[in-house]
Amino acid sequence: MKAFTLFLVFISTPLFAAMNHGGMIMDETGMIMNHNPDILPKDCPKISKDIDITIRAGQQYSKDFAGKMFTYDKRDWQVPGCARVNVTFINDDDIRHQFMIHGLPGYMYPKGMFTIEIYGKGQKTASFIVPSRDYTYYIHCEVSQHTEKGMKAQLKVGKSSGDLNSILGLTAALTPDIYPINNTQITWLSMLISFILGIVFILYVGNFLRLKLGK
Amino acid sequence: MSHKRLYYQLIPVVLLLIALAVWLQPDLFQRAAGINLPKGVNPEFKQTLKIDKPCVDLHPEWRLAQNIDGVKISESRLCEPDNPYDVAAFVLGMNNISMPTLMSTNIAEDALIKSDDLDSDGDPDIIHIKLEVLELNGATPDSANVAPQYEIAPGILPGMWAFSPKLRGMSVKNFRSVKLNAILRAPSPVIRIEQGDKVYITLENTHYFPHTIHFHGVDHAFKTSKGGDNDGVPVTGEKAVMPGKTRTYELQPRHAGTMLYHCHVQTDKHLMMGLVGMFVVEENRPNNWVQTFNVGAGHVRYSSVAIKEKYQREYDLHYQSIDKNLAKTIQHSNDIREISKNMHRVYNMSESNENYFLLNGHSFPYTLRDALIIAKPDENIKLRVANTQHSSIAIHIHGHKATITDYDGVEQNPAAQITRDVFHLAAAQRLDLKLQTTNDGLHSYGEGVWLFHDHVETAVANDGMSPGGNIALMVYENMLGATGLPMIRPDALDDFFTNRYYAKKQALWGKKEAGTFSPNSLQLILFALLLGTIVGLIIFIVRGLKGAK
Repeated sequence: MKAFTLFLVFISTPLFAAMNHGGMIMDETGMIMNHNPDILPKDCPKISKDIDITIRAGQQYSKDFAGKMFTYDKRDWQVPGCARVNVTFINDDDIRHQFMIHGLPGYMYPKGMFTIEIYGKGQKTASFIVPSRDYTYYIHCEVSQHTEKGMKAQLKVGKSSGDLNSILGLTAALTPDIYPINNTQITWLSMLISFILGIVFILYVGNFLRLKLGK
Repeated sequence: MSHKRLYYQLIPVVLLLIALAVWLQPDLFQRAAGINLPKGVNPEFKQTLKIDKPCVDLHPEWRLAQNIDGVKISESRLCEPDNPYDVAAFVLGMNNISMPTLMSTNIAEDALIKSDDLDSDGDPDIIHIKLEVLELNGATPDSANVAPQYEIAPGILPGMWAFSPKLRGMSVKNFRSVKLNAILRAPSPVIRIEQGDKVYITLENTHYFPHTIHFHGVDHAFKTSKGGDNDGVPVTGEKAVMPGKTRTYELQPRHAGTMLYHCHVQTDKHLMMGLVGMFVVEENRPNNWVQTFNVGAGHVRYSSVAIKEKYQREYDLHYQSIDKNLAKTIQHSNDIREISKNMHRVYNMSESNENYFLLNGHSFPYTLRDALIIAKPDENIKLRVANTQHSSIAIHIHGHKATITDYDGVEQNPAAQITRDVFHLAAAQRLDLKLQTTNDGLHSYGEGVWLFHDHVETAVANDGMSPGGNIALMVYENMLGATGLPMIRPDALDDFFTNRYYAKKQALWGKKEAGTFSPNSLQLILFALLLGTIVGLIIFIVRGLKGAK
């Protein structure tokens, strides 16, 4: 079975190209969907640049972000238009994680997606080619609540279309949590003094002016 | 005039400053998170942190099997076993024990008198029992705390009542202590008598409210032989037993089984306060001395002859719940008129909740000290289960299926007995269970430290803080430590034996809670300065305009 799978993987690249990327490469450790190392988008005469990126996923990468649980080791990527992106996705947890990117052209990538999913600890490499347009692509792990609790990233192509919301360490949430402010008596005292200082200052300046005008 | 125009010219400046102030307006009390969330803090805990040992191990010598005044008391490997001298006294009666045994108890000499072998079968048949009424965790005018103190779980001291065998001497351990002697506790003790015994139970009302005793399911005549009240219901019999007064009830039960007794005055409140206990009528056998009281329920260290015929061990499991609002009614005043009003008229039982759930007078983790079921493989264990809560219970013993032998003290036809793993008891119902520890994949899955608990999940928490409530353990002897605690992960109980945990002031799994943002001082000061400037400018303009006239 394993030999057969390996054989499938071996032959899959040209096979998938022939099938218009409609299928998936699957084995017992994970799944790659819409692997595309060679088909060019309509607007790209050739591959502009080959870019290798490594993304690690795991609980441990969230420890610097209070209140979050899962994330990638890096969440912001930049490539030029028409680049071929060779993603090495490493899962450092014992559970399932995904590298899933949305918004790619549907005529080459069914559902506009490219995905690497790894069922436990391990790694896989696959490629996709981005179109030329300036755009920010949404990357996330779709396992229930992983995106929401931190596993979200972006891939900016060219000048991009701006930052996405709620990327850890980069952008705020669209629906942020509200936290109380830890005011102390010093807060209120300093405000009161500042308020009085403001009044005194104006009256002092005013009196000075009035005296001058009076003369 | 030119001066006046100058002042008018300043008005747009004021409006401009107001606009600036609105724009600069800081968040005063709360702020939405930006990119970074608050770093997190440990919850603030204002009380004194109290960390308990899982087992204090005050009386290791009480655990041993021993012979006291000829009574062979079985081993009890619990952290807090019953005092074997109490057990001997309860088997023989206070009139048949030695002076050293008497001196090792806190029981009054007239609390239990056993005499007259009427049928000449080797055991006493006339039993005189005297009961008092305890208050635990009530109000005191001498301190803000409650007295005398009885913790059902770390830091949890709800006001409670309990019947008690008549005691002597001090309630508390010593003059400086507010902690109760082991015999003063919840629940009301299990009372055991033999079928056919002539039993005289005297309620000595030591409490400040009227009470009675009603025998639920125990064979008794409506009136005593002298025509007095014998059903304990003030509506149908005599008035309640007033504070400082006594009344004697008479029973001679013809039918054996697991029954109840409880106060029938303002029953909804008084029962939930704890004036309810198990009443066991043991089958008549020759030479059948029974342990008349099982204080705190739990392990029966001296089972009756009929039980020993079929079972290796016996446990009384008394399930009980507390509404914290009812419990508070006795804790805020020492004026009995106020307490009576707050309990009986202000407090509304139809709007009640159950917040604490107890097994044998304790909630987890204190159930680990005295409410374990201890077992060995290939045993038959008798469990008598009573539900004195308002709500139903659904008891589940991990790793085991037990057989229901009796419903409400009536034996089920053996051919129709049901073996199952959830035991449902509505309010006041009792079940007798036969728990077999045969590792056959049906009755038992083998040795272990098996949880047993109510599967109504509100009941496995202390006022909503889990784990708590009536969770207890069934522990096989090979996994039981020297001090009666199960051999489990060394850090497994670390969180629970603190008052902080049940005050809900400890974040779970070693994490912090989100906490707060710091105030943005610079923005606040600038804003206040600006407000001051605006007010100052308005004063200046108003005064100037007045002066210009």
